[in-house]
Amino acid sequence: MRAVTLPRNVTDSSTPRYGNRAAVLVLVVATLVVFLAVFITRFVETFPYTLTSEVASQPRVVLAGTGGTETVIHLETVGAISDAIDFPKPSDPHQDWVSYLPTTTFKVPANSVVTMVIDQEDSASGLRNPFWAKAQGIIGPFHMKYYDQNGNPQEGDFTQLDDASTPAHTFAIPDLGVFVPLLGISDAAPAGSINTITFSFRVGKAGTYHWQCFVPCGSGTIYGNGGPMQTLGYMGGFLVVQ
Amino acid sequence: MAWAVLSVIGVVVALQVNMPPGNQTQQASDESSLLHLMLILSTPVCIGVVLFILYSVFAFRAAPGKLDDGPSRRGNLRMQWAWVVATAVIVFALAGIGINGLANSSAATTFASSGASLGSQTVGTSASDRLQVQVIAQQWYFTYRYPSYGGAESTHLVLPVNANIEFHVTSTDVIHSFWAYELGVKADANPGVDNITYVTTTSTGSFTVRCAELCGIWHGNMFDTEGKVVSQGDFATWVANLQSSESSITLPPYAPQYFPSPRVKGT
Amino acid sequence: MSEVTTGGTMLQPSVRRMALPTNALTGLVLGVLGYWAGVQIGNGLGFNDSGNTGVLAGYALGSIMFLVGIGFASYPLGRLFGWVTPSQPAYDEQKGVWRYLSLSFDHKVIGIQYLIVMLMAMLFGGIGAMFVRTNLLSPDTPIFPPDKYLTLVSMHSVLMIFVASAAIVGPFGNFFVPLMIGTNRMAFPRLEALSLWLVPPALVVMLLTPVFGGFQTGWTGYTPLSEQGGQGFDSYIVGFTLIGIALVVSGVNMLTTVITLRAPGMTWTRMPIFVWGVFSASILGTFAAPVLAAALSMQALDRTMNTSFYVSSNGGSPYLWQNLFWIFGHPEVYIFILPAFGIVMELIPHFARKPLWGYRTAVVGLLGVTLLSWFVWQHHLFVSGIAPALRPFYMLSTEMISIPTGIVFLVAFGTLWRSRISMTVPMLFCLGFLYNFLIGGISGVFLSDVPSDITLHGSYFSMAHFHFTIVGGEIFAIVAAIYYWFPKMTGRMLNATAGKIHFWWMFISFNLAFTPLFAAGILDMPRRVSTYAPSLQGLNDWVTIWAYVLFASMLFFAGIVIWGWFFNSKLAVADPWHARSIEWELPTPLPRRNFTRIPTFTRPPYDYGEGDARPLIEPNAEPAPA
Repeated sequence: MRAVTLPRNVTDSSTPRYGNRAAVLVLVVATLVVFLAVFITRFVETFPYTLTSEVASQPRVVLAGTGGTETVIHLETVGAISDAIDFPKPSDPHQDWVSYLPTTTFKVPANSVVTMVIDQEDSASGLRNPFWAKAQGIIGPFHMKYYDQNGNPQEGDFTQLDDASTPAHTFAIPDLGVFVPLLGISDAAPAGSINTITFSFRVGKAGTYHWQCFVPCGSGTIYGNGGPMQTLGYMGGFLVVQ
Repeated sequence: MAWAVLSVIGVVVALQVNMPPGNQTQQASDESSLLHLMLILSTPVCIGVVLFILYSVFAFRAAPGKLDDGPSRRGNLRMQWAWVVATAVIVFALAGIGINGLANSSAATTFASSGASLGSQTVGTSASDRLQVQVIAQQWYFTYRYPSYGGAESTHLVLPVNANIEFHVTSTDVIHSFWAYELGVKADANPGVDNITYVTTTSTGSFTVRCAELCGIWHGNMFDTEGKVVSQGDFATWVANLQSSESSITLPPYAPQYFPSPRVKGT
Repeated sequence: MSEVTTGGTMLQPSVRRMALPTNALTGLVLGVLGYWAGVQIGNGLGFNDSGNTGVLAGYALGSIMFLVGIGFASYPLGRLFGWVTPSQPAYDEQKGVWRYLSLSFDHKVIGIQYLIVMLMAMLFGGIGAMFVRTNLLSPDTPIFPPDKYLTLVSMHSVLMIFVASAAIVGPFGNFFVPLMIGTNRMAFPRLEALSLWLVPPALVVMLLTPVFGGFQTGWTGYTPLSEQGGQGFDSYIVGFTLIGIALVVSGVNMLTTVITLRAPGMTWTRMPIFVWGVFSASILGTFAAPVLAAALSMQALDRTMNTSFYVSSNGGSPYLWQNLFWIFGHPEVYIFILPAFGIVMELIPHFARKPLWGYRTAVVGLLGVTLLSWFVWQHHLFVSGIAPALRPFYMLSTEMISIPTGIVFLVAFGTLWRSRISMTVPMLFCLGFLYNFLIGGISGVFLSDVPSDITLHGSYFSMAHFHFTIVGGEIFAIVAAIYYWFPKMTGRMLNATAGKIHFWWMFISFNLAFTPLFAAGILDMPRRVSTYAPSLQGLNDWVTIWAYVLFASMLFFAGIVIWGWFFNSKLAVADPWHARSIEWELPTPLPRRNFTRIPTFTRPPYDYGEGDARPLIEPNAEPAPA
């Protein structure tokens, strides 16, 4: 009921080419699905494989009738993945990164004692917070087979590292209160030396806990906490208690 | 009409809700009361708007098939002013209450002295006597230092009840945020900054500390469920144990900020 | 063709043209080449910076070469070298699909191109959101690695920010503002095209971030966490810079158009309220985006040349980034919502068949929000350790901004009162907007009071707040605008029954998904976490399920749009809604030249119920000679 003076275009619908349009649509959707699949598998789903702990052949901790088991996990920490001795990993894309090897996801049984044996091969970076030089949350002291600052091999039980500039890494499970410093290879030690640190802690009910290193060892990144420290599979991971 | 009835019901329901974070500290009580007040105020507003929309949709529906116009009313200045003034009044009132609450969180309460002395210092029982606690945020865990007890450091936060606490929150790397939920405390931990916030504990209990500012891969795991507010005697025992257990390691001297080297190892 | 005569000789301009055809394909090829060249140059500079300079230079040069390939260099180079440059309408000679993949200076074509780009970006952002919610199904066992999860969160948020900042002004502002003010073109058609064509490179750059390891800061990019990231964060810097330039360019264009190109009789108080919404958002865009660009360039310098703008150990300050970012960031969120207010206040009068009640108050409200939004940014920093004396001031200013925001409700209610409402699909979405924005706005008041903000900052409460305002507000408005203006843009109607199903599906799933998040925030769940207290698992699983349902509703909407575009038959009438607005009086499809003669406007907008319906403009005489 309006006096419109502009001409109106009334277009009748010519026969649309459904076939062409449907084909374009299917092609676009297919491309999208392919990209999504590649994205999920290559970028998103990149968990390190799970290492299940093995029952200890020679338990460290006297369990005195508690009925729990003691299991062992054997790890290696390296200054560069290309220098790995126990667990070489040539397929890793970051050969120059510090890393825990062979993996960073561990599975241990519930209500048990876990013993970690860590072959530490990296040189010292030093702790940002010297508080972490004191071991916490472990059963008894931790045992170290190491090279002292004169390059002489030593062995002994320790509750802490006296010099906060000597750890190369730490192994810490904050939710369980476990914090253990890992001594770095001193400059006077022969090349290829390994410091072996052994410690044990209790786990309770089932759950998933994260663990991490507290030494800023992500070299070249701001505050040392980038790179391997911020990528899963190198300096942090999960402890799955089942 | 229906709005009044529903609003009353709504307000009664809202009054039953126990708003977090609770009553463990004075600040938490203030925050809970403010949240509760805002919930009560917003209930009639929401109910009113929804009722208006529903009523309009049913009462003013165009008859199907007909296309006539509504009345050509372009405004009513008095109603517009009334609305603006009413919303302004509510808003300013809320702002006033908020500012009042803010002022309270900086003032401190004086408690009757309990007579107990802890080591070399009576814990903050009066306004001028605050227990200083430094919260150090690092990627990805909080640690706490007590400067009045030799700078002893701990992974769990333990506080005495009925005390004025002065938190000094700082970070050694990126921005974190110290959020002690039941204490009603949140303060960002900025590197190189000493962020001070106050709390007055009023009842014992446990609390959870979480990091509330994205700080990297383990941000979600940066929490501690074992914070505790304990009696003053228990606190004295605990902090004495802490000091003695740490006599063997050399912690750096207490400082309000720490300036670690930004780039390490290899560059 | 211009001919220059000097004396008796006639000089002809050179007839060399650009050798390459310029369209999206050329742009793609040149973009890839430019990226490669940029990486070589950047790495060749030899900074000790883990390859960041290469990536930044690569992205920058790639984007520039993409724009050259699209055809932006043709005109300046042509004028420089004296070539024949085709006139702007000549760019639209192409028909069919290539028309939309090439540079066009017709604001209508640009509008449609913009709509497609925005919908694609929303799709990618939505897929990211599904990943994010999936990871939150379990409180402690992650489904995706935590570092990849943070990249997914960041990608979702940044892509959605790109969408939200331009999804109304881009498609609908560009398409309809010239029509509504009675002009044939925008003031700077090349700038308009530039604001469009900057978005695909920004999207591609952002989608490439997983290739470089991703970045983990969320959309706020806080330092120094951002500087711990690898090359993935360079995507953020370049992507946001491109979008920032697009905001400025589009803002300048829109402001100039509205200020200078209004037809005779189109006074400021006769403009449709939608134009006011777009206008006020453009003010914010033009002046806020440069702050972001400056702050981002400082981040780039920190990452490449080892400056310390944001590193406190060397004298910088992370506060600097927080403040600069939020000086941009707060006006940015009003850039999101002001055009949405414009849409809702535009559509309600047409579907209630009653003039907009309180038009001038609405304008004052929009401008009031625009002004106040510059003075509130510190409310994002309430717990950051800012000087305590600042907090009451910013609390007051933030509370005050809810007054002009409330005016939208006043105007909407006044229009609905005693009107004749037709419950069409766009109207449903406008009513949904009113409810959602009510919840979003009230939750904003909770956040603006500092004592309550202590608990709520950085928690899921603030996340629920901005999702209600942006998704429940702006996205609902965008969907309403698509249903409303689709017949004008394409000549086909979207299926109304499907639209109603879509509305209820989207509205119910959106509210069921996001309302529990308020509770999650109050119950001690921080933002951007992949691990949370086990007691909150039921809540999170409920939210995730309804988020999937919401995503499905958006896929359904995509289906409705694609079906309508390809398979619905063309309309017989140009004005299916019987709306009294100039764009509906024009024919569909719109001719290349909107008005053969610039009209004179004689009536106020929304003149429903005012006697016999006379046209909004003076009747045209015969068309002017071509």
